[in-house]
Amino acid sequence: MTIEGVFNIEIQEAVDKAILLHGESRSELIPILNDVNRALGYLPAEALEEISHRLKSPRSSLFSVASFYHMLSTKPRGKHVIQFCESAPCHVAGGREVWQTLRNLVSLEDGETSTDGKWSLITTSCLGLCGVGPVIVIDEDAYGNVKPDQIADILAKYTD
Amino acid sequence: MYHLIIDDKEIEVPEGTTLLNAARIAGIEIPTLCDHPALEPYGGCRLCLVDIEGARTLQPACTLPASNNMVVHTQTKKVKDARKFVLSMLFSERNHFCPYCQVSGGDCELQNSAYAEDMTHWPLQPNWHPFEVDASHPYFVLDHNRCILCRRCVRACAELVGNYTLGMEERGSKTILVADLGVPLGSSSCISCGVCVQICPTGALIDRWSAYRGHETDIQKTDTICIGCSLGCGIDVLTRNNSLVRIEGDWDADINGGVLCEVGRFLPMADKRQKIVTPLIRKDGSLKAATWDEAMSVVYRKLQPMIGHNEDGVAAIASTRLPVETLDLFKQIFSDKFGSKMVTSTEEGYYTAGLDRSGNKLTHQEGLKAIGKSDLILTIGVDLTNDHQVAGFFVKRSIEKGTKVIPVYTEKTGMDALTPYATLIREGSEFNFVQALSAKLNGEAYEEKLIKSGVPASKLDKIADMLKQAENAMIIYGSEFSAKNKAEVVQAIVQLAKNYHVNYVNFKGKANSFAASELGLENIFAVNNHQVAYLALGDEEPSQLLIQRVEDVPFLVVQASYHSAITAKADVVLPVTNWLEQDGHYISADGIVQKAVHALQPSVDVRSNQAVLENLAAGLQLEINQEWLQSILQSTTAIEVQPA
Amino acid sequence: MKTIRSMVLVSSDPVSMERGGQSVFDNLQAEIQKFGIQDEISITQVGDVGRHDALPVVIVYPEAVIYGPVLPENVAFLVEEHLYKGRVASDFQASQKELTGKIAWLNARKGTMPAEQRIVLERAGIIDPTNIEDYILHEGYQAIGKVLAEMTPKDVMDELKNSGLRGRGGAGFPTGLKWTFVAGAKGDKKYVICNADESEPGTFKDRLILEGDPHSIIEAMMIAAYAVGSDEGYLYIRGEYALAQERVKIAISQAREMGLLGKNIFGSDFSFDLHIHSGAGAYICGEETALLESIEGRRGEPRARPPYPTTSGLWGKPTLVNNVETLANVPAIIRNGAEWYKSFGTPSSPGTKVYTILGNVNVTGLIEVPMGITLREVLSIYAKGMKNDATFKMAQTGGSSGSIIPASLQDTPMDFDSFQKAGVALGSGALLICDDNNCVVDLAKVLQNFFRKESCSKCNPCRIGNERAFSILENISQGTGTMQDLDDLMLISKNLNELSNCGLGQTAGTPVHDILTHFRAEVEAHIKLKVCPTGVCQMSGIRI
Repeated sequence: MTIEGVFNIEIQEAVDKAILLHGESRSELIPILNDVNRALGYLPAEALEEISHRLKSPRSSLFSVASFYHMLSTKPRGKHVIQFCESAPCHVAGGREVWQTLRNLVSLEDGETSTDGKWSLITTSCLGLCGVGPVIVIDEDAYGNVKPDQIADILAKYTD
Repeated sequence: MYHLIIDDKEIEVPEGTTLLNAARIAGIEIPTLCDHPALEPYGGCRLCLVDIEGARTLQPACTLPASNNMVVHTQTKKVKDARKFVLSMLFSERNHFCPYCQVSGGDCELQNSAYAEDMTHWPLQPNWHPFEVDASHPYFVLDHNRCILCRRCVRACAELVGNYTLGMEERGSKTILVADLGVPLGSSSCISCGVCVQICPTGALIDRWSAYRGHETDIQKTDTICIGCSLGCGIDVLTRNNSLVRIEGDWDADINGGVLCEVGRFLPMADKRQKIVTPLIRKDGSLKAATWDEAMSVVYRKLQPMIGHNEDGVAAIASTRLPVETLDLFKQIFSDKFGSKMVTSTEEGYYTAGLDRSGNKLTHQEGLKAIGKSDLILTIGVDLTNDHQVAGFFVKRSIEKGTKVIPVYTEKTGMDALTPYATLIREGSEFNFVQALSAKLNGEAYEEKLIKSGVPASKLDKIADMLKQAENAMIIYGSEFSAKNKAEVVQAIVQLAKNYHVNYVNFKGKANSFAASELGLENIFAVNNHQVAYLALGDEEPSQLLIQRVEDVPFLVVQASYHSAITAKADVVLPVTNWLEQDGHYISADGIVQKAVHALQPSVDVRSNQAVLENLAAGLQLEINQEWLQSILQSTTAIEVQPA
Repeated sequence: MKTIRSMVLVSSDPVSMERGGQSVFDNLQAEIQKFGIQDEISITQVGDVGRHDALPVVIVYPEAVIYGPVLPENVAFLVEEHLYKGRVASDFQASQKELTGKIAWLNARKGTMPAEQRIVLERAGIIDPTNIEDYILHEGYQAIGKVLAEMTPKDVMDELKNSGLRGRGGAGFPTGLKWTFVAGAKGDKKYVICNADESEPGTFKDRLILEGDPHSIIEAMMIAAYAVGSDEGYLYIRGEYALAQERVKIAISQAREMGLLGKNIFGSDFSFDLHIHSGAGAYICGEETALLESIEGRRGEPRARPPYPTTSGLWGKPTLVNNVETLANVPAIIRNGAEWYKSFGTPSSPGTKVYTILGNVNVTGLIEVPMGITLREVLSIYAKGMKNDATFKMAQTGGSSGSIIPASLQDTPMDFDSFQKAGVALGSGALLICDDNNCVVDLAKVLQNFFRKESCSKCNPCRIGNERAFSILENISQGTGTMQDLDDLMLISKNLNELSNCGLGQTAGTPVHDILTHFRAEVEAHIKLKVCPTGVCQMSGIRI
């Protein structure tokens, strides 16, 4: 089977699972998109088409919703997604220097994905971990009280 | 009634009136941008903010309901300052360099609002970031640089058309208008109705014909009707120096409420057919230009001897795009005076089978809005996403409001993406399906009837349940039945509807198919031993079948607006007006009589269809009458004359 | 009176025990005795705390310092250094990865301070949030029992009105009054919604309540539903709060199992059930009408008001929307009565308020204290002063859209009315403390950047105003600003407030307005002298 074929099966499974869990209802759109995004890393057009078809919800509505909420992505993301909290509490606690260092180390700007597909760097608003700001979240792991000189070590943990 | 004071004017308005509408009642204009009378109030642009005594801040007039004893000011300094601020914000967001922009030709609401507030410059530096232009659509262009993100187009696409092609991507300052999943308009689900173009307040959505073509002020606007199908939508035809600028839906029209489809708005603009500008006579095997006198004398000479020939004289066929009076005259001449038995219309009875004269109709006051009042709509024998599209818009847009829509058709339709109840039936099985549904509703055995339709029993059960539960159901049927006996299908539908107190309407055919049917112009056209064929085509494009049928006729007279394969074969070609160049009446599918008026002057040697037939009658000394309306009204119970 | 100064948690999961966790615990007790500080320090064994990479761990609150792996022989040093001398023994700290998942809620402990009064965080961190019995043992579901057995809906609303409870989401609207609006609204179907879309930067109180005491919110929503006549509720929880969602999910299923949710609860006529609805990353969804749009599956664009949600909310039905912290007060008020509740806080703002202390201070974290405490008190008592003995420059209260207050206002009592009089927003209770190394232009830029990204884009003043304000501030921070820019900023700020559709836009201009009011000279220095007095701004736009 082609890589594309495998991917399509993955999409189908993710959509099926999410709709089975939440029901074939337009009011469950955001939970469904959340689940599919989590399963696939983003919301490929094929997934949105399928959800549109199943929920009888127009493509434009889905896309409008998917692009509105920042936990959802309509574009592919890297293997590891680095979220940097750019809210004021983290900024005041030293976030600015952390952001500079982080950007330089991965050579990416906000919203970019590295050419090898390993990293995506996105800024995010408050993650509710301000007690330990500045905060970086890589995939599901949160790092608090981050200092610029620790970032290289943190990134080095993600070897694959 | 609520009593309130707006700018010292005391007025009374019904409960639930928005302040904006209350002000309009008082004759006070409040500027708006995101608001449009045809759309639900939105409250985004904040241009309509007004000062209400006792309120902390200014309030949007478009969304705020008037309340009793409210005192409102629309011209205070606070209000004027707010308007200026809102406009200065908009001017700073994207490229709105009015002095250089002639896109909309003075029709730009942003520009007009700025003039109204005496703005002479941009108080804040504009944003110089350019946005791309989407020119992928065949009929119009989307220029994001001119977009003010008011969402009128998005809302119109959803609320008025029910097509949901347009949406917004992202949020905050990155927000941008998109189609579907972010594809170019040209490859999107857009059905080219152009309602978004008509409703855009700036030059962000512009059609390819009228943009950059001079100022709106020297334009003539003709209020008439579209004859693209049998709905009779109200339109405004915009012309300049006797040439077509664009066609817009008439917001005040009862039938369509301003909405229009591709057929009505863009196809006439994109019409590339070549007009016939002078009469033509076949001489030595080829068509040569002639005068009207020459041409008509050939016609008189050829037709005179045919009077009284029932079977082998003139075979005559008229387009159902012609006005009623013209069809009536056509019938008087060829049927009554000539006595020919082969007098028919271009629909040749195809639609007649789907006609039920006792059927309910949509009143002209409510127009197609009556569709939206149904809680269940079943369509059969018609794909309203392809045919009679504006009626389809009203069906589609009702889905969002909770109406259950059940399109029953032999193939997939554009409705399928919006409703879970689309029902695919086998070719030729409409009668079986309706019978099975009736049986199910009556509690009788239905399985055998259903098998032929290919519809699963569970689906039929669901449809029957929904029909039973519906309080205000409607069946819309057309005449594209694949079943052989179309009349039988219609009877079954009507019977079902009557038994279960379901409203039913019938959309079908071209602009005057109803009238043609009432006049009895519904035979299958066949040229047998006829010596002459007379084709009153008007601006209708002849079908391949018609071209074949007149292949061997000894003498062919064609009255037509455009050159075609059929005029090429004619012996005499009489150039006639197209729909935009003539006046005349049309009877919509549900029996509303409306008058179409001309928007353009025909070329000097082109005559109206009516005039040509009148000339013919006069030349042959046939007595004719003008009592077409009387004769139509006598023949039916389902006609309503649109008051002037 | 015995005052607990620190709390020590020792992991006691199987892995920790295998690695000598019991000896660590025993040694800790012994060492603490040896220093004679046993009355000031509580020591507890806790189960799985999630740091599988550093077991056994010892966590010391309020500083929330995590040590691990700790060997029994390290304990003496730890006790002497940290608990006796008050210095963090950084050599033994667990590596940087911390506070993810399971132990995040334990942060609630950071606030266990002498003068605290806990109502909403009463149980957070004390009970097992995944165990309904534990909640019940701690007075849980007593209030709903009392309501169903003894009180009419009117009684409930009267009690709440008498208590003076005001909404903790930011606006401070009287809660009891809101309930009567919904109760009085026409409609056979009504909804109760808990707004747990806690997106205000610097605020995580709702997360701690949901993670640490989810049943209290379920109980409060039941009481609300009973009072207003609703049978269905939604908990709208931020998408980022995965653990909170998980905990609430468990709590709901436990409550259903026990018959606390469902039909005819406790044999009464009252039926109620709850759904969780996850957000997906949008600050604006904390606005109640945007939240409703989001539950209905659309972009979170706030609606025009009126109609208000109390008469036309979710699916057009009358809807009560209350914030988590507001609801968390309700069971306690019902159990103990309005008079008891009014004994806390100030007459106009009874009860407690949860604050998050952030920024350049020695101790950051969460406290629940009576309304009316001053910023100076918070700074000196709970935050233990400025970090590195720096000078207090300003504080931002209430999250991104909060007011910036200079040192001169730090003695204003923090309650709804006193703050309102001073022109300051109490907001969500976030207190961002900044020392004099922070540049006001830089801070304003960060905040405006937040709003230009979080604006829903529906209304022009907010969508464009925040973008324009950001670009002006960016110019100023690069040394290319003009004095005209300051007038423009003030104009934008004023109009954001007056012309925007919803609370986000209406308050987005507050910080920049406050900065230009209190710190104008510093901003002008950027323009006139092309100098950033704190050295933060790079002034990259200047060409010499």
